[in-house]
Amino acid sequence: MFAAHWRPPILVLKGEKQVPEKISITLTLNGKPVAADVEPRVSLVDFLRYHVGLTGTHVGCEHGVCGACTVLLDGETVRSCLLFAVQVNGMDVQTIESLATEDGLHPLQQAFQKHHALQCGFCTPGMLLAAKELLERNPSPNEDEIRAGISGNLCMCTGYVNIVRAVQAVAQSGSSQVGKSS
Amino acid sequence: MKATGDKWVGQAVPRTEDPALLVSRGQFIDDLNLPGQAYAAFLRSPHAHAKITRVDVSRAQAHPSVFTVMTGDDVARLTRPQRGRVPLQYSPKVYALAYEKVHYVGEPVVAVVAIDRATAEDVLELIEVEYEPLPAVINPEKAIEPGAPTVFEEVKSNTLWHDTFPYGDIEGAFAQADQVIQERFTIHRYCSTALETFGAIAQFEPATGALTIWGHTQQPSQDRQAVAASLGIPLSKIRFIVPPMGGAFGNKVRPMFLIILALLAREAKRPVKWIEDRRENLLALGHSADGIMDVTAAVKSDGSILGMKFRNIENEGAGIDFAGRHNLLMLSNIVNCYRIAAVSYEGYSVLTNCCPVVANRGIGKPFMCFSVERMVDVIAATLKMDRIEIRKRNLIQPDQFPYDTPSGQTYDSGDYPELLRKALALIDYKELMQEQAKARKEGRLLGFGLAMGVEPGGSNLSYGMLISGPTQLLSGQGEAARIRIETDGTATLYIGSLEAGQGHATSLAQIVADELALEVDQINVPTTFDTASHPSVMTTGNYSNKFNGHDTAAAIGAAKKVREKLLNRAAQHLEAAVQDLELRDGKISVRGTPGKGVTVAQLASRAYWSLADNQPDDEPGLEALYYYQNPMAKKPDEQNRVRVQLGFAGAAHVAVVEVDPETFEIKLKRYGVVHDCGRQINPAIVEGQVHGASVHGIAAALLEEFVYDESGQLMTTSFMDYLKPTAADIPTILGDHLETPSPFTPLGTKGVGEGGAVIAPGAIASAVEDALVPLGIRITTLPITPTRLWDVVSSKGTRYGPKAE
Amino acid sequence: MKPAPFHYIAPSSLDEALTLLGKYNGQAKVLAGGQSLVPLMNFRLLRPGYLLDINGLKELSGIQLADGKLTLGSLTRQSEVEHSAEVERQLPILTEAIRLVAHPAIRNRGTVGGSLVHADPAAELPVVAVALDAELELKSKNGIRSVPIPEFFLGYLATSIGLDEILVKTSMALPPAGTGWSFSEYARRHGDFAIVAVAVLLTLDPEGKIVFVRIALGGVGPAPMRACAAEKLLMGKAPSDALFRETAAAAVTETDPENDIHASASYRRQLSAVYVRRALETAHSRTQRGKTSA
Repeated sequence: MFAAHWRPPILVLKGEKQVPEKISITLTLNGKPVAADVEPRVSLVDFLRYHVGLTGTHVGCEHGVCGACTVLLDGETVRSCLLFAVQVNGMDVQTIESLATEDGLHPLQQAFQKHHALQCGFCTPGMLLAAKELLERNPSPNEDEIRAGISGNLCMCTGYVNIVRAVQAVAQSGSSQVGKSS
Repeated sequence: MKATGDKWVGQAVPRTEDPALLVSRGQFIDDLNLPGQAYAAFLRSPHAHAKITRVDVSRAQAHPSVFTVMTGDDVARLTRPQRGRVPLQYSPKVYALAYEKVHYVGEPVVAVVAIDRATAEDVLELIEVEYEPLPAVINPEKAIEPGAPTVFEEVKSNTLWHDTFPYGDIEGAFAQADQVIQERFTIHRYCSTALETFGAIAQFEPATGALTIWGHTQQPSQDRQAVAASLGIPLSKIRFIVPPMGGAFGNKVRPMFLIILALLAREAKRPVKWIEDRRENLLALGHSADGIMDVTAAVKSDGSILGMKFRNIENEGAGIDFAGRHNLLMLSNIVNCYRIAAVSYEGYSVLTNCCPVVANRGIGKPFMCFSVERMVDVIAATLKMDRIEIRKRNLIQPDQFPYDTPSGQTYDSGDYPELLRKALALIDYKELMQEQAKARKEGRLLGFGLAMGVEPGGSNLSYGMLISGPTQLLSGQGEAARIRIETDGTATLYIGSLEAGQGHATSLAQIVADELALEVDQINVPTTFDTASHPSVMTTGNYSNKFNGHDTAAAIGAAKKVREKLLNRAAQHLEAAVQDLELRDGKISVRGTPGKGVTVAQLASRAYWSLADNQPDDEPGLEALYYYQNPMAKKPDEQNRVRVQLGFAGAAHVAVVEVDPETFEIKLKRYGVVHDCGRQINPAIVEGQVHGASVHGIAAALLEEFVYDESGQLMTTSFMDYLKPTAADIPTILGDHLETPSPFTPLGTKGVGEGGAVIAPGAIASAVEDALVPLGIRITTLPITPTRLWDVVSSKGTRYGPKAE
Repeated sequence: MKPAPFHYIAPSSLDEALTLLGKYNGQAKVLAGGQSLVPLMNFRLLRPGYLLDINGLKELSGIQLADGKLTLGSLTRQSEVEHSAEVERQLPILTEAIRLVAHPAIRNRGTVGGSLVHADPAAELPVVAVALDAELELKSKNGIRSVPIPEFFLGYLATSIGLDEILVKTSMALPPAGTGWSFSEYARRHGDFAIVAVAVLLTLDPEGKIVFVRIALGGVGPAPMRACAAEKLLMGKAPSDALFRETAAAAVTETDPENDIHASASYRRQLSAVYVRRALETAHSRTQRGKTSA
């Protein structure tokens, strides 16, 4: 991404207020409209956690490597640490809080428990959303495809073995589309 | 899940922790917020070693969104210096912020508390610090040479501790040897880097002087003590709350951050939160120690190892939290799983201008196992013996348990030859050898690797006496537990296990459910630890693989006590003798008198509601408190023999790698683990621990490395440069197990969380070395990377060792 | 790790974006996918005064295959290219390369233009753009210009794009029908930037002689590069192991790698030799000799 020795020129704000003005945004969050005024530099994940109070999306690195902050933006996985909240104005955001429905846990959530695919649980929300997208794009992945599909999400506890097993189990049962929200 | 009358222990019960985690309601530290909370940020040292000549915080203090700014001078004025876990003869003065000098890159120098984290970071840019850079020392061997830069002047030299411990007839062993073989091994710095970084919130109530800390620690009693001692606050006024942790791995024991947050909260007059960011985490939370190990072995021509001498130079960095511990834990396990009658261990604990070390998964044992297992391979190669045969010849035999090692450990149980046999079967060894022969003919570099090891569980903290002498207050090992049966017949267990992902709450619920004849879902084990509700001893916490021998024993002790109270109540209620009572499925009945019985809920109800009743045991309520102390954990004897660790799981790891003969890319094709942790409480959790720990060890061997340049700058401060493995970088972990129950734990259990991380590095090195046999390259250091392999091959080298300096 | 303050503007048209870019004269950064820009901002290694978010400018997105060219709008997401069956059919080297870019969530957001303009010498898209003789269309409020790829990459994270310019689209010529391809790389970890990346295109005439070849490398110098001298060795000749070996060795002499913590310069040269040779072999195995234009 960048080399340790590289230092870009520092740009400063000139002739402008030091604190940039807040910007009004409206988004659809887990199916419901949300409106807020936010400072431009607030990341989407900080917005979700500290402004909306949805703490299910986690922060693991703030530089786009670990995947703990994965959310669905207009239905696709993205790093919410690499998006500013102002960018999602008018868009649809789904977080881990939307995965289970009133009918119960998503099949991936069920499989994660059944196969002991989580230990500390900190990577789990991002991992579940990555796995959900993987199965939507490729309903019957082989092991290598599963591993590549979740490669953007680091887990420090499980060695991935049981996560792969859980995703395989859901793929084999063909239930990945159950509870799919558009 | 469980048939009536069966035991919960032994079943792969779905984890009670999971329902909250699956919907991401885990209540981690950053999920908690207090009214009026402000946010801390640290200005950190850009130098590895420098005098602080000027600090100007006036512009920061003038910022309208700032609540307080503190410097090292403030901290030195307001707190006492920290002490190491093991008291040292010459202890440096370490404060929560750098005082007068900075000792490593990333050391906190100034703390700012502001209205939000981003503003706090803005304010850091308003602070001016002037440094007078000093020469830095990074390599521990250089640090103990005369004339090396001194990290802490008050310690006089960089040698924090140095001693030699001979055990058995070591000179006799060398006199009888057919051959004396010598080799040097080194290990690098790495870290398990929990996905959740370190964090805490401190709140100080000026009216009462009460301090509450929500935050990370794996040793809450000792860290609470450290905060009290440093700030001079009475312990009775300090409440520690440890929420579930998103992984810990021994890294989350840094009391300096709790001390500074408490101080900041007191000064800012509001709750102060600090969540470490990933750069801070990689830079300065803590690394495993790097070290340099010289091994000399006395061997007979038949491969018998008569004795071994070790000399280890351990790089402690610029900290004292864990000073000496890596050495002592290596020393105590230094014979690994072998019958070596005589050993001597010389250890140096050395200060350098690196980040302080922490107790990363397995602390010390990974380097112990790597050195011993590599040395066994070196001996085999020197004697032209097979790696498997030499192990068979030297392994402790099943009929020798309990086995006393030269340094005083008592290995409880095991069958190491059987572990080896099963591991070879797991990997289809015979077929693999044919495959390898074929591959070598084709010019392909296919390698088989093997490493075995003990996985100690629980540490007897008397081991510090090997450094500090017998007057040290801290000794032994134990845990405290309290069980309360509620009026509805459900029960709550309060215990200091701390939640960090290992499924302790589930395992403990299984144990208590068995003791009280209840269902697992009737036992609540809170995953938040709170000194206001939880009993504790000074050894309380989640570390040292102590769960299986100590937390379980404490829980069982408390359960037996409350069960006795329950039966006494039932005897009174049913007008029967206790010995005639039977507790089953939540009911107590009288043997031989069907229909005569009472439920646990009925008895519990009376225990709290009916205070006009005559109370059995002379008190109402249905609650028991139990303090467990491990009877095996004694102080060192006159010969410095001590049971440093208290239970010994074992495992054999096997690996198959293929090295590209042109690019030297290393492909881990297959990996297998056969382990024996005695009786398994929950086999699914056990398997998960084996997977996770093994992948830590594999990644430490192939990917992860903290790299310092010669000036002491850390080059790996992001996950772009510090390489954690992704799912696509490692294969699945094949597994099998063996069960030799420990005779010394109540359930026959042994530790299981660390072994993979301890043994895997040696197995990987063994496999790569085997793959490179056609090129004749010996592997003596980690990590093994293609670029450094190429450097060795292209310079016609025969040794993959530490880089020449 | 929070970015320094900045002003955020989401222009509603390309013209507005260009006007603002001109107005802020070096103080503004264009925000597309943000997958490289935002980490730099979070580390405070980059602190633009203004962020111009062009994600709303739909006219900058799109995949067009026409007139023997593939044209990618600069805002086209990498995942859209990855999953385009048409791209895979017509330009499989691009699909092969883009699958090696980071991870799915990064490709969902990351853009083709963003990767080219960021100009990391070890990134996949710049290398494949070099192999495909890409032409970049840059626009400012003063006009539009087309820059051939050799004139675009100037050095480490440096390009010839003006401070007032936005990359609008990138065109790549489809290689002749029957061309074999290979994109491969060595990275220490799945999804990382390459230590060395190699793109090869190879076309044979009906007699089996090489009539078209491209060898591009990344990670071996301050910018992605074409091994032109090595290419020349191949032209007009019939493929052979010896020829490929000789060509790979020649390609190495054109590289200018550096040491870093992940690989020595010497190792990068070795990787270049091996990866170029293997890529030539792979590309050769995928050629369809003398196939007429599709």
